[in-house]
Amino acid sequence: MSDLAIETKALTKNFGALVAVDRIDLAIPEGAVSGFVGPNGAGKTTTMRMLLGLIRPSSGGGAVLGQALSAPERFLARVGAMIEGPAFYAPLSGRANLSALARLGQIPSRRVEEVLALVNLTDRAGDAVREYSHGMRQRLGIAAALLPDPSLLVLDEPTNGLDPAGIAGMRNLLLSVAARGVTVFVSSHLLAEVEQICHHVVIIESGRVGFQGPIDAFVAAQSPELLVRTERREDLPRLAAKLAESNRPTRMEGEWLHVSAPEEYAAELNRLAAAIGITLVHLSTRRASLEEAFFAHTGEARSLARPKDAAR
Amino acid sequence: MTPDVILAAVRSEWTKLRRPTLLYGTYGALAAIAALITVLEFARAGHAFGRSGDLISLALLASPEGLLHAFSQSAGLLGVVALCVAAAQLANEYSSGTLRNLLVRQPRRTVVLAGKYLGILSFLLGAILVACACGTVAAFVMAHVRAIPTTAWTSSTGLHDFGQGLGDVVLSTLGYGTIGFVLGIVMRSPVSSIVVGLVFLLPFESILSVVVSGSARWLPGSLLDAVARGGTTDASFLAALVTIALYLVAWAALGIFLFVSRDVTA
Repeated sequence: MSDLAIETKALTKNFGALVAVDRIDLAIPEGAVSGFVGPNGAGKTTTMRMLLGLIRPSSGGGAVLGQALSAPERFLARVGAMIEGPAFYAPLSGRANLSALARLGQIPSRRVEEVLALVNLTDRAGDAVREYSHGMRQRLGIAAALLPDPSLLVLDEPTNGLDPAGIAGMRNLLLSVAARGVTVFVSSHLLAEVEQICHHVVIIESGRVGFQGPIDAFVAAQSPELLVRTERREDLPRLAAKLAESNRPTRMEGEWLHVSAPEEYAAELNRLAAAIGITLVHLSTRRASLEEAFFAHTGEARSLARPKDAAR
Repeated sequence: MTPDVILAAVRSEWTKLRRPTLLYGTYGALAAIAALITVLEFARAGHAFGRSGDLISLALLASPEGLLHAFSQSAGLLGVVALCVAAAQLANEYSSGTLRNLLVRQPRRTVVLAGKYLGILSFLLGAILVACACGTVAAFVMAHVRAIPTTAWTSSTGLHDFGQGLGDVVLSTLGYGTIGFVLGIVMRSPVSSIVVGLVFLLPFESILSVVVSGSARWLPGSLLDAVARGGTTDASFLAALVTIALYLVAWAALGIFLFVSRDVTA
């Protein structure tokens, strides 16, 4: 258990008849950046709230930083968190908001200036939060999470609603925090972002863990693809039909044909194309992205909010 | 729960309470209420207008208790403002989602609650003292205008009555603040908690006190009014104080239970 920052056993939360989180066993390694991915309503935020002592599990338990989940006062001093977006007192300045939290947690006041500098908000720290842009509020939320100089950072959708520059800034910030040895557990709808910053991923579906482990292992477990381009574009449907006879699923995207098949099939595909008079100008293997692997795994591509939806 | 942890929670609460719009707004409103009622009481003293049996004599205002008489009359309004401020401050933590930040930084919920309660009570105490100061200044000015002698006010009896009367108003206002504070926890919405509090204390109690004889002996608003006035014909000071204290202890226990045990989903 010592090498796990978060460990849960059969953690469950019911809201009346609704089972929001259903007997999940989390194992989040210490020092890693772990992504928490799932469709809307899958139970990500509820799980994070249980980890932070904000809501009580209906059954099951676990440990955070080696301390029992049922005693959050033993570990929260070493945990930073931002749940469901940044929430602050709008009339107060960013600095005053952080000071209120620092005083409550008996954190030295110098940390306020340190974290403001870390998220590049020093210049606007004296302004009322109601005057902040969404991106600035997100950064202030991260600053609040970093106040206790945490060993574990729990972030719920930190890039939600950010523009591309804001997302890149958040990515760099999280990577710099992780480089200092902080364990980061981050939920996100932006699977491309998760893929870029996380080593480890937890897939949650309908309150249950569908997969957890290294991202590479998750992606590798999905069907690999061969990427094919023919000399003449009109040959693509003919090649697809031929492959269908061999029970090889295909899909066409522009001038490309994606063939679900392992790398070893490439030679046979080449021979098959040549046999029906089709010349290939490109044949390569392609590793699936996390997003593709996720959709292939869950089969619920439509239910996951895409970046443009999340920004609405 | 050590004193330094509680003090840290109170200081944290004051970071929010001292913002100018809330601090000057509340203190200014209470001071204005106290001054206005004092001016009106002194202005109408000795005249036979107003509600029947509500005539204030000049002799009463010239007596040792005259200095704080008008201020005591404003206790109900001060209490209503205190209820609204306390309810809004607590309920807003739920509705704006800031409570989750607080509970992550201080997971001992009783500490957060104690810090907020003491912070808001000290805020209201300061507001009452400022209001009292304004009411006192207004009383001296109006005494001069109405040629009412003030020597009795500064006598030892007058100062004693002043201190006692101020203490009664403080107790009453903090009682209203406690009701509002727990309402904020129960309702978790600033508007709902204020509306429920005001509807109960104003029209509901008024109607009930007319319909049910003797209800002033057990209705919370009437009891707090009796405490502020040092006792009324319906309830003596001690009876009112004991009864309202019992109410508030039960009410506070409900608030503590809900705050500590309820999931924070906002």
